[in-house]
Amino acid sequence: MTEGSAVPMETRSLVRVYDGERAVDEVDLEVRPGEIHAIVGLNGAGKTTLMRMLLGMVRPTSGTALIGGIDVQAAGPEVWKQVGCLVETPFAYPELTVRENLLAAALLHGVDRDRIDAEIGRVVDEFGLGHWQHRRSRVLSLGNQQRLGLASSLIHRPSILVLDEPANTLDPAGVVFIRNLLRSSAAAGTAVLVSSHHLDQLARVAHHITVLHRGRIVGALDPAGIDLERQFFEQVYQDDVERGVA
Amino acid sequence: MMRAVTVEVLKVRRSMMVRITTVLVVLLVPLLSLGFVKVAENGGAGAVALKAQAMVVGEGWDAYLGLLAQMVSITMFIGPGMVVAWAFGREHADRTFPSLFALPVSRGSTAAAKFLVLACWGLVVTVLMLAASVLVGLVANVGPLGDVDLVPRLARLALAGSLTSMISLTIGLAASVGRGYLPAIGAMILLTMITQIAVLFGTGGWFPYAAPGLYAVAGTDGVAEVNAIQLLLVPVTTLAVVWLTVRWWEQAEVV
Repeated sequence: MTEGSAVPMETRSLVRVYDGERAVDEVDLEVRPGEIHAIVGLNGAGKTTLMRMLLGMVRPTSGTALIGGIDVQAAGPEVWKQVGCLVETPFAYPELTVRENLLAAALLHGVDRDRIDAEIGRVVDEFGLGHWQHRRSRVLSLGNQQRLGLASSLIHRPSILVLDEPANTLDPAGVVFIRNLLRSSAAAGTAVLVSSHHLDQLARVAHHITVLHRGRIVGALDPAGIDLERQFFEQVYQDDVERGVA
Repeated sequence: MMRAVTVEVLKVRRSMMVRITTVLVVLLVPLLSLGFVKVAENGGAGAVALKAQAMVVGEGWDAYLGLLAQMVSITMFIGPGMVVAWAFGREHADRTFPSLFALPVSRGSTAAAKFLVLACWGLVVTVLMLAASVLVGLVANVGPLGDVDLVPRLARLALAGSLTSMISLTIGLAASVGRGYLPAIGAMILLTMITQIAVLFGTGGWFPYAAPGLYAVAGTDGVAEVNAIQLLLVPVTTLAVVWLTVRWWEQAEVV
């Protein structure tokens, strides 16, 4: 877990500007232990950029991204050992088998060497990869590559999880699997930040849903509420009206 | 760092690109050299025969080792250079680069591990290539062994091959900054052209990409000896570029 009572994930007035355009604009966010915090937004809303800043993949133009209370830009190995993520493409080197990819992920995530075999066996079972474990990842379907990517991001039992569109390329059974995965991770105390286009998926598992539009937080949705899609579009439309772009 | 090295060894061991390059370099250099020697020995006025006769100096082992020296400077740059381009460029082309963030093993360690593993691979390929060359020479009976000082000439080829594969590591910077294979291959072509120009102008000894090749053929066909300081520029240049590349990996963002 993260040190003391520090919030696992937090952003303060986070801004990222690309070519004069604010991809993320003054975003304040907190994700606490055992919480699933969902980010929803249209394409280009800034979801991925926000996650990238939390993971140190891009530097903020201003503001701060914190993991376990520590500025991401100064975070060291002990901080990153607690983090699992799947942003962009899955961790899957095409020339390596599924097991070899998991071995590489375990090594890079800092799993103790004497625990690596056991952890690989665990995620192979949990993620239904047994049938493909000795095949090179280049021959896997996109859905199974995604499962491999998720297994790689969880092989070290992280207490902080960041997933960008994790249900992408998964079949309906895979979507149900993701929901259960998010629920069980949160139940174990993991802080989860997840993005998705599918409001229905999130409503079933998220504790908080934040709406991001044109880089800014424009509102929140009640996961237990009804007709989330209509509420989402109302918030997005209202923001466009306020900006004079509707 | 050891964890990053283990992962990079795994990737290199499983790579078809590395396997093919290893076989090509180890076998192609002695077989092509032998082929040119045999064509030159047989005489004739065909285009290939005339070209071979122009390249071959002396006869028997002397001619064979002389051709090996010419081959080493080219193949030990292009072969390992392609592997370096793959090792660094693939993280961008295969979009695995973002997966190397948010890990306890830093990206600088991963880049340094790539260099370490590829440097060791380059040394192994050099040794295998020279062993295969001796074997091919003996099996093909290119001439009486007593006519040449085999050991010092092989030692010269070993140093030239090692230094050439070492300087090929610098291609990693182009593959990283250019985020792919193509900029790295472009850099290899550009450096090969500059090397040719530097040699033509007689300043090749001071150009680290040309110095090992000139050292390999020094003394034959009027080529001047390359001094220790000129050779020392090869590891110095390599280390400087390796440092720059590791720094780039530490600072680079996902785009």
